[in-house]
Amino acid sequence: MLEVKNLKKTFKKTVAVEDVDLYIEEGESVGLLGPNGAGKSTTISMISTLLPPTKGTIKYKGKDVLKNPDELRPILGVVPQDIAIYGELSAYANMKFFGKIYGLSGSQLEKKIQEILELVGLSDRQKDVVDTYSGGMKRRINIAVALMHNPEFLIMDEPTVGIDPQSRNYILNMVKRLNGEKGITILYTSHYMEEVEKLCDRVYIMDHGRIIASGTKEELKNILSNEETIVIEVAERKQAFTDLLVSQKGINQVAEEENNYQLIVSKGDQLLGEIFEQARQTNVKIKSIHIQTPTLEDVFLHLTGRKLRD
Amino acid sequence: MWNVFLLQWKRLLKKPFLVFLFIGLTILFVYFMGGVQVNSTLTVPVYSESLTEGELDDWLGRLNEGETLIFEKTSAETAQEDIRMNEISFAMMIEEDNYQFLVGRDSQQIAAVDQHAEQIFREYNRLDAIQDEFPGTDIEVQEILSVQVENEGTGGGGLESYKLALLVGMTLYFSAYSVLFLQLNLIEEKRKGTWNRLIYSPVTKIQLYLGYLLHYFLVGSIQIIVSVFILTKLLQVDLGTNYYSLGIVIVSFIFATVSLGILLAALIPSPQSLQIVIPIVATSMAMLGGAFWTLEIVSNRFLLFIAELIPIKHGMDGMITAITQPEPLREILQPAGILVLMGILFMAIGINLMERVVKI
Repeated sequence: MLEVKNLKKTFKKTVAVEDVDLYIEEGESVGLLGPNGAGKSTTISMISTLLPPTKGTIKYKGKDVLKNPDELRPILGVVPQDIAIYGELSAYANMKFFGKIYGLSGSQLEKKIQEILELVGLSDRQKDVVDTYSGGMKRRINIAVALMHNPEFLIMDEPTVGIDPQSRNYILNMVKRLNGEKGITILYTSHYMEEVEKLCDRVYIMDHGRIIASGTKEELKNILSNEETIVIEVAERKQAFTDLLVSQKGINQVAEEENNYQLIVSKGDQLLGEIFEQARQTNVKIKSIHIQTPTLEDVFLHLTGRKLRD
Repeated sequence: MWNVFLLQWKRLLKKPFLVFLFIGLTILFVYFMGGVQVNSTLTVPVYSESLTEGELDDWLGRLNEGETLIFEKTSAETAQEDIRMNEISFAMMIEEDNYQFLVGRDSQQIAAVDQHAEQIFREYNRLDAIQDEFPGTDIEVQEILSVQVENEGTGGGGLESYKLALLVGMTLYFSAYSVLFLQLNLIEEKRKGTWNRLIYSPVTKIQLYLGYLLHYFLVGSIQIIVSVFILTKLLQVDLGTNYYSLGIVIVSFIFATVSLGILLAALIPSPQSLQIVIPIVATSMAMLGGAFWTLEIVSNRFLLFIAELIPIKHGMDGMITAITQPEPLREILQPAGILVLMGILFMAIGINLMERVVKI
């Protein structure tokens, strides 16, 4: 349905995105995973025809959308990262306005507003001014206005940033329903690995403006088929212990976060003995050790040497 | 376009304080600035330390020939005490063939009083000199050639023209202020992303800009019309009957101001910075353009040249001409034309720059 080839965007001398190739089939839910500043927003700005690329092609159903943005725009819904609605107006007024500019009117418009409000769970607060909403409710109305014109293809740019776990869960379930029940094709960008794992059939991992890996979740995890993850919780992290872990043969990656070490190690290597010995030498108290199967987070760590939220 | 236009009104009606505030400020400033009162006369305390009572009365008689200025006798002590207590801003001291002002605080009314007094004294001194030349001769003053001197662009002289200039200047200043401030919305929308949502929609960019600009344009025009209407009633200034000419100037001025706002928004795309820049630009424009004081007191050629580049100057020229001249249509074409030209130039540069700005 959508095919992006060799996409590049430079801002003066800064290369924001380079050599991005991706495709999305109709009805798919595709994740674009990467840390902040990886180039995800720039990529989706180009895909959504907002930003002209420096190089590359974007085709929707075989038609060049860069030459004819109007081929894509009528069926495209975009949920931006910022809350892009009029805070001084009610949810109802916002939806009415966005419905009208897409040509809806009368009973058709009214019916659509109520249907979407029901979907996002804001029917009972529709007349309230948006500025009085909680963060999660604002996020939901931000999604709602993008659905007013029945888009076939929905681009969601980090739609759960900065909200509580309950609201986040509500939104994730809603996105799942939009894709599963309504058949909307979704491109979902996030730096939350667990969101992409939950929602998406296929994933593109971006870093420093490039796609560094892509495939189904299983295909990506198979990158680490010969490796496993060890998570060590310590009382207090020490640089000497970190240095020993980094120099230990068989440990391929070391990441630190709060009182945890996350190690990517070769499968089958018996390293626990060495790790305990190094902890003893550096006087580090180990509170727990977990050995787990790789996640997408581990894949990212393996590919970049950094954690997603670094 | 109409949906975008109507939305801006809906948003303004939710938060109309800015516009009301600026209309209120216009009325307050004009009413109180320079001590302009509802009645159209100004009382000037007059005293003398060198003239006899009779000589002073003679002078008062000559000075009180006009209708708008009332010269009242007082003593030096009373005048000094009243100035010290801030009850009057100035008083006039008359000597044998000259006068001086005792000034407590600056007042633009002094200029009007000075103009009137200078004329009376000059006339008296001229006749006195002739009398000295031909003693014992009866001198009859016969007006052969009358030259009426008017301040350029301000119509009638004295207090009336001062009030009119103040009314028009302040009205244009505050309307420019609120139009420029309203345009912060546009920048805010671009930053928040609602503008991008509209770009995705079937509304074209031209329709979008028209929707916004038409809204700013109407708000500014309504503000000027309301302010002028209220102030002319309050200050008893005659607005004349040339409403079409007045309308042409107002429309041209608001067009130039809206365009200036677009240019500023394009040059300074951060709402926070723009919030600081707008008061500086609006106030500088008012000062240099003659809204706070008449440009006749400015002799610096560079400043006068700068004034020519400022919309408020041409807006004031046009409006005052439209109000004071009997058939002003031809005369307002120049200021209105300059304003439209400025508007086109600012708008073209502004939108061009705005469309070039890209977000990473």
